[in-house]
Amino acid sequence: MGNWVVNHWFSALFLAVWLGLNVFLFVDAFLKYEKADKYFYTREILGPSLACARASALCLNFNSMLILLPVCRNLLSFLRGTCSFCSRTLRKQLDHNLTFHKLVAYMICLHTAIHIIAHLFNFHRYSRSRQATDGSLASILSSLSHHEKEEGPWLNPIQSPDMTVEYVTFTSIAGLTGVIMTIALILMVTSATKFIRRSYFEVFWYTHHLFIFYILGLGIHGIGGIVRGQTEESMNENHPHKCAESFQKWDDHDSHCRRPRFEGHPPESWKWILAPVILYIFERILRFYRSQQKVVITKVVMHPSKVLELQMKKRGFSMEVGQYIFVNCPSISLLEWHPFTLTSAPEEDFFSIHIRAAGDWTENLIRAFEQQDSSIPRVEVDGPFGTVSEDVFQYEVAMLVGAGIGVTPFASILKSIWYKFQRADHDLKTQKIYFYWICRETGAFSWFNDLLTSLEQEMEELGKVGFLNYRLFLTGWDSNIAGHAALNFDKATDIVTGLKQKTSFGRPMWDNEFSTIATSHPKSVVGVFLCGPRTLAKSLRKCCHRYSSLDPRKVQFYFNKENF
Amino acid sequence: MGQIEWAMWANEQALASGLILITGGIVATAGRFTQWYFGAYSIAAGVFVCLLEYPRGKRAKGSTMERCGQRYMTAVVKLFGPLTRNYYVRALLHLALSVPAGFLLATILGTACLAIASGIYLLVSGVFC
Repeated sequence: MGNWVVNHWFSALFLAVWLGLNVFLFVDAFLKYEKADKYFYTREILGPSLACARASALCLNFNSMLILLPVCRNLLSFLRGTCSFCSRTLRKQLDHNLTFHKLVAYMICLHTAIHIIAHLFNFHRYSRSRQATDGSLASILSSLSHHEKEEGPWLNPIQSPDMTVEYVTFTSIAGLTGVIMTIALILMVTSATKFIRRSYFEVFWYTHHLFIFYILGLGIHGIGGIVRGQTEESMNENHPHKCAESFQKWDDHDSHCRRPRFEGHPPESWKWILAPVILYIFERILRFYRSQQKVVITKVVMHPSKVLELQMKKRGFSMEVGQYIFVNCPSISLLEWHPFTLTSAPEEDFFSIHIRAAGDWTENLIRAFEQQDSSIPRVEVDGPFGTVSEDVFQYEVAMLVGAGIGVTPFASILKSIWYKFQRADHDLKTQKIYFYWICRETGAFSWFNDLLTSLEQEMEELGKVGFLNYRLFLTGWDSNIAGHAALNFDKATDIVTGLKQKTSFGRPMWDNEFSTIATSHPKSVVGVFLCGPRTLAKSLRKCCHRYSSLDPRKVQFYFNKENF
Repeated sequence: MGQIEWAMWANEQALASGLILITGGIVATAGRFTQWYFGAYSIAAGVFVCLLEYPRGKRAKGSTMERCGQRYMTAVVKLFGPLTRNYYVRALLHLALSVPAGFLLATILGTACLAIASGIYLLVSGVFC
């Protein structure tokens, strides 16, 4: 629990403040429209749904302002750099930008639903009171004329009893922009589900640009001034508290109360979204500028199972372990940017990525590089982004767990640790590494295999065989593979990977692993780092708690949930 | 774009449309808006669309994450055989279902969304290409 608080206090506080502001804005606007005298007559027709609609509108403005900010990744990188004096925990929160973006999006969806439902009731009530012939206050208010000039005294936007709500919706700016915005929002949300994003990234990427319609629509949504309140002067002549009851006598010559006059609310959404829109436009310009910087591809390696390694150089590019870049290849697709974790170490003079064939874009890229002719496609790079995983170097004993594709950032980390170890770098406190690689089958990661082999060789040459201990767990085994392994038990190298350490089949038994490590290092602080699925994170966290000694001087396991 | 299985997105969109139809229908019926019986229809249509679209179809390439508990619905949906298997039929069905909800403002959003889902299914069914 203590560990959680130390790691997450800032996120919890931030979310609490955000939720609190939402609640505050909602309640404040609700009370204003529910209690203010200015809207007394409006409420006479509409009831509480007026206040509901306006309160949710204010929250929508607030959240629409916030939604563009977390996706300005260059701005966030800049903040991360300038705030280097802030603690790492604070800076790590900037990595959760997409989580915040999604939370704000859910809030927008919720308030959109409230807003639309409230306005459905509003339109229905306006329509009903327009058609009413019972001489009630509502019907008299509704019949206030539209034919005078702009700031006419009208209250009810439905001008005649024959006008349907559908007609008003599609002929008023507010209604039309509302429909367009909502459809854009729904399309953005359905194409952004995890399944679609992971499997068909391009669908998500292109559809998400519908946000332009959302922002434009939001800017002009309130221009029509459909929400109307009584004017100041009218309040002097006809104060609702005094005159509402005597509404039948408003037209009499000797009455103290004149007919009320109403004015529309000026649009205010643009005030909320102007600054973030400008920041975002600036961000896109910056991304474009950075992408125009020349990238030199120094080496292209085609690994088995269709994995392409690109080693590149770019002026002014400096990376740290655990970061990622966005890559664009104009000859394949002008507009698409795809993220890739960096697999090279900062100590190397180039930076590299390993690209697996996982969809249209990646397959086209691999095919373009496979062609033997001398023209290598041009590539643009933006980044690096992400928090540095420098915590890995701070622990005496490090337990690194990479599951499936989660093994990619560890390529960078392992290489960097090895370079630091060779140079006897003082920053490196690590004396021993236990690396667990869990995957269904090694096919697409045979390049990582090669990395481990070369590390193994280098360690033997330096006489430091015990520095890196790694275990590979194949979870996609069948009886054939197992049988083969059993037959070749005595061989020095593993038949599957060719590594000196043998492959195990099935999932690791974490209890055994943790207790072995705890016994071998009874007085150390062990850092556990995972890049993999959430369920694995849960089991590792539990083991960390179970095997950490109660005595703070003895072995302690710290679980670090790194978001690579 | 050739390898994108648009039907997966159409499925998400149709599921969302079903929920929107249900919500719009409940609002219209509860508020007793004019012609609220379209709202009642919308609830029924929404429930039907949700049940039909809940089981996620198997992808042609790669592994498919099933939705929680979809086995039970899959058994029912499979009973209708080619009617539910064929994307063209599904596209027409969704288009037909969406039309009556278009008469009421509360449910017109559901109509628009379901029509878009129908359009995507139509693209996938190979009718146009």
